[in-house]
Order: sequence, then C-alpha cells, then structure tokens
Amino acid sequence: MEEKLEPNEMIVHLGPQHPMQPGPFRLNLRLKGETVVDADIELGFIHKGIEKILENKTYLQGITIVDRICYLVALVNEECFVGCTEKLLGIEPPERAQYIRVILEELTRIQSHLLGMGEFGEFIGFVSMFMYTIREREEVLSLIDMVTGARITHSYLKVGGVRDDLPDGFKEKALSVLNNLKKSVDDFEEMFHTDRIFRERTVGVGVLTADAAKNLGVSGPVLRATGVPFDIRKNEPYLVYKDLDFKVCTETAGDCFARVQVRINEIRESIYILEQCLDQIPGGPLFPEGTLYGRRTPVMRVPAGEVFHRVEDPRGEMGMYMISDGSDKPYRVKIRGPYYPTLQALPPLIIGTTVADVASISGSMDGCTSEADR
Amino acid sequence: MDVAEILKSLTGAFPEAISEATAESEIRARSYVDKERVREVCQYLKDSLQFDHLCSVCGVDYIKRNELEVVYHIASYDHPVVLTLKARLPRENPEIESIVSVYWNANWYERETYELFGILFKNHPNLKPLVLPEDMLGEWPLRKDYEGFPNKTARNLV
Amino acid sequence: MGEVKEKKASKPDETSEEGIPGVITTTTSAISDLLKKTKVQDLINWGRKNSLWFMTQPMGCCGVEMIAMGCAHYDTDRFGIIPRNSPRQADVMLISGYVTKKYLPSLKRLWEQMPSPKWVMCIGDCSISGGPFYESYSTVQNIDEIFPIDVFVPGCPPRPEAMLQGFVELQEKIKAKKDLGSEY
Repeated sequence: MEEKLEPNEMIVHLGPQHPMQPGPFRLNLRLKGETVVDADIELGFIHKGIEKILENKTYLQGITIVDRICYLVALVNEECFVGCTEKLLGIEPPERAQYIRVILEELTRIQSHLLGMGEFGEFIGFVSMFMYTIREREEVLSLIDMVTGARITHSYLKVGGVRDDLPDGFKEKALSVLNNLKKSVDDFEEMFHTDRIFRERTVGVGVLTADAAKNLGVSGPVLRATGVPFDIRKNEPYLVYKDLDFKVCTETAGDCFARVQVRINEIRESIYILEQCLDQIPGGPLFPEGTLYGRRTPVMRVPAGEVFHRVEDPRGEMGMYMISDGSDKPYRVKIRGPYYPTLQALPPLIIGTTVADVASISGSMDGCTSEADR
Repeated sequence: MDVAEILKSLTGAFPEAISEATAESEIRARSYVDKERVREVCQYLKDSLQFDHLCSVCGVDYIKRNELEVVYHIASYDHPVVLTLKARLPRENPEIESIVSVYWNANWYERETYELFGILFKNHPNLKPLVLPEDMLGEWPLRKDYEGFPNKTARNLV
Repeated sequence: MGEVKEKKASKPDETSEEGIPGVITTTTSAISDLLKKTKVQDLINWGRKNSLWFMTQPMGCCGVEMIAMGCAHYDTDRFGIIPRNSPRQADVMLISGYVTKKYLPSLKRLWEQMPSPKWVMCIGDCSISGGPFYESYSTVQNIDEIFPIDVFVPGCPPRPEAMLQGFVELQEKIKAKKDLGSEY
C-alpha cells in the first residue's frame, strides 16, 4: 500500500487483535471517507511451520500434528492426512470404520458451522445468536467427546481405521441431540430471517457472482452461495459418501445472507446423513483384516510415490499433496487449506464497500486463520 | 472429459514442452512441463480443457538430484480430474514464469513458495514475504539443508 | 515597606511548592505503600479478584476453548470473568497458543496497552514449553522470560473446566497477595 495519501484519505489497520477476526491477521484498509479504496492482508502471525514439522515426524506422529492445522475441523484434517497415507499404502479401511469416520466428520461439520454462524452474528452486533449457537455446539461437542475423548483435537483416526469403536448408547444419545438440533436450526433460521438489522447488514452485501468466485478460486459455502454445486463429497466421493443420499446445498444470491443460509441448509443435510449412517452402520472389524494395521501400528515404511487427496472441509476444498521416499517419514507434505484462497479473495470483495460492511463480509467467510497460516 | 483425452490434447498442443505425461488413475494425471512455457500451458488448460481451478502451487526440494520442483495442482469446477504439473529448476538461482495472469489465486501461493524455497517468480505483481517476518528472508526454511530446524532455544528441552 | 512587598511577592511561589493549605500532595508512593500493609489492600484485592476481565485474542486451539469458556455453557460471568475485545478494558491477558517471531512485537504492545493492575496467564502447552511446535523455525520459546506469568494451565488444549480452575487459582493468588501483577 502506497504511503502517499490524498487529503481526505487515511489508513486503518485492523488487527492483529481485533474482534472481527477469527485469529490474528492484519487487514490494512485505505479509506476515502467511509469508502474502502484499497485493502491489503498481512499473514503469518501464527505461522508455525507445520509442513516442516511433518517432514520430521513419522506418519503416526503426523496425525497429532495435522489436528492443529485448523482446530475447528481437526477430524477432517486427519481424514485428509490419513487418506493420503492409505492411498500410498494401497489399503482401504473396513466399512464400519468408514461409517464411523463419516459420522464424526459430519458432527465436526455441524459444530464448525454452528460456531461460524454464531461468530458471524457476533461480528455484526447480534451477540445473542452467538450464545444460542454455542449452546447447541456444546451438545454436539459432547457427542464427539463421547467417542474420541477430546473436545477439539482428537488424534482419533489411524491408518487403516479408527482408534476406538462407538461407545454403548451412542446411537440413542446422538438421535436425541440431533432431534433437538433440528428444532434449534429452525429457530436460528427464523431468527436470521426475521431480524431486521441482520437482514439490512447482510442482504445485498458482499455480492459475489459465480464467474467472479471461480476466478478468485474460492470453494465451500462461499462458492455454493453463488450457485455452483461444487462439493468434493459428490464430485470425487471418498469414504462411503457415494452410498449416502444427500444433496449439495446451493443459493443463487451470492451475498452474506446466502452464505449463512447455505450453512443452515448444510447442517440439515448433515443431520440427514448422520441419521442414515446411524441406521445403516454395519458390524465388523475396525481395521482391515489380515494386515498388520491396528491400534498400535508399528513404525511403518510407506512405499515411494506421491498422491494428492482432497476432502470436503466445512469451509471448502481441503487437499494434501504427500510425497513418500520409502522411509518412515513423509518426504514432503503440502497442505492446501480451504480458507487460504477465501482469505485471499477478501480484499477484492471489500474494495468499494464501506467500513461497516468489512466486518460483515469478513465474518460471512467463516474463517480460521490458523489454517491459512499453518 | 476423461484423463486419456486430456493428456492426448495436452501433448498434442505442446509436444516439446510436455514430457512424461502419465495417468495415475481415472481422476489423476501427472506430467512434467518445460519451465519456460508454464504460463502458456496453463493458459491452454484454462481456455480449452476447463481447468479453471488452481488447487495449489508448492515447491519440493530434491536435494539428492540437486533440483527444485515447482508443482502445480490444477483442477476443475466441472470434472473431477486433477492435473499435477511439475517444472524442474536448478537449485542455484531458480527462476520460473509467474502464472498470476492466468490464475488469480496463484498470487499468495507463489509468494509463499518464494519465501520458503527461494524460487523467484518472474513477472509476479507483488513478490514479497507473506508468512515469515522480513528478517527471515533468505533462509529458505523448507529446503532440506536448512539449519535452523529443529529449533533448540527452548530452555527445558529434554 | 520593601520587606512586606517581598513577602507578598513570594507568597504565590510558596503555595505552588507546598500545595493548597489542607491538601497534602506528594511525589512519593508513601500512602499507597502504607495502604498495602493494611486491611484496605485486602478490600481492594477482593474487588480486583472478582472482576477479572480477560481479553479475547484467539491464537490457537486454546483460543477456541477460551471462547467456549466465556460463553453460555461454562458461563464464566458468575465468577466475574467477562470476555472483552479491547486490551484497554481488560485485566488478564491469556497467551492462548504459540507465540511466533512475527507476533511477539504485537503481543508486547497489547500487554503495554492494558491498564494496570494486569495479569497474564499461559493457556496450553504451546505457550508453556512449545507444545507440539517446540522445534519449529517460526515460534519463540521461553515465554515466561518475557511476560510475568502468574498461572500456567497445561493441556493441549486444556478443557474449559481447566481454564476456569486456572482463573480460580489466580483469584487465590491475588487474595493471598502473591501475584506478579501488582507490587506488594
């Protein structure tokens, strides 16, 4: 950003600590009156060098590290890392393990969307929304806690399967939580739709068209709100998603309101997927039979090769590129997080809007800076 | 559009720039590309083969071969094929053409690859460090011969 | 006559030096030092320990648990612990994650912006000893040499209950006048 300012211009730095932000990054705004004429993002305040650390850890230790890429969706990160390793090894988890993974990943999606919606409400002055969504999120987290033993970082997935079976009484508890959640989601939708201030701050704000969104390279709810049905679960099915019935939620408006609407609909779809999974889940082992893989997998050497594996994160397309050189540690892991391109698309979106809309647009992206920084 | 068709079209259009084009599976393809012509190849992929989504750009350090590789993962919003394009560069003074003019979101990926590997992207609009502090520029931490890892400043390290 | 004039002229100077009659102004902290030895300080500390407003500044996994702690389910308001977004309104800074080389200057500035009395807590393994990222090229180690840390809450990440326990420990410390935030 040029330092030379015109008479009625000023530069405002938002961050690194700012209530609008999901984590530390710095947003430099150049304002002309109330209008944003230029914007620039500085990243790296919580860059921790995960890619370098992963090169120096064995595959089993790496699962613990990838949890911390994005702490809101730890299980999806694990799925991506473990999926890469399984593809290199040429094994596939048994069906029960796949169902358990789907159950936990959809629960993760629900809690991430709930937090995202609540945070968005808080950013634009709708704090009671935050309290309501957090209350429901705690119920969902207690379900995940019941299976994995941790609230947000789990280390639950293992190469070839999952660490533990579902506990007794999980299905009954899950169904009762999901039934309550259905009612709450209807309430949230009604609150979002009827609140006049919320509508005025979101409808028609931060509009992204389908072509522009494709050019900016975004994915996930931000893209689906523009009408593009791009979902890795449908385009490139992994686990048992091809056997499950669900639809890709899209909206056409492309503004902040549509993004929240997509998230609400996705929570409903996730509940539907969970109900199917709980019904259909077969019995059987948790690790492929006749192989060495199990809860206590010894140090394993992964055959040389490379793979690019994609999964659907609550924020969009998550991919990992893993190269193995035949030793017990990966040679190189590249993490392609979904929020990275979305955050990159923030400056073009906010240029030309007013300062008040910056919080609204940035919040509707549902961010996680930790994953952009890695 | 399936993999064989894409690879046939690509090698047909750039017979000398594309080498070792192979299909790994039904939805994955891989090929090496000449470092001088990356931008042209990307432009062709975007215009003619519907590859309109850049997944990532990253660098890989092959220290035994004394080479760096820039790896592009290019996908599409319409079909599930992901093409892995690789360009070989020497370890001393690695330079490659920037593809920001084709894929807008390559901007940050290239900045990150620059500061972590020291690969210079020519004609990049704003090539400066993204995630590292300014004074760490020149250390290239993700190269295999980087000496600052592991960090031993922790006092209570066992 | 001359003497009287001199006296009158010098009188305003005397008042500016010695202050308004009946009001003692001093440049030393004698009174506050005195108060610290009496029961009045107990009363002040009782007030301080029951209004520990903390600054929301999510830096890592623990930041999410910190948000969850401040919200409906765990409800820290009942201990007088309220999340604030501005450092100017906060009493407690939570270092809730790895401190990187790039973030350390900003963190120091946030700490300077907070009004005294102020306390700092380490939440999670990352800020205590580096945690899973102890060997990274980007993080700063030995945070306790930089900030006067009162309470360490271990865990990766600690559960909200553990963080609440950490706050209760800080309250105990303030009550016992053993905290590092104010001088006794």
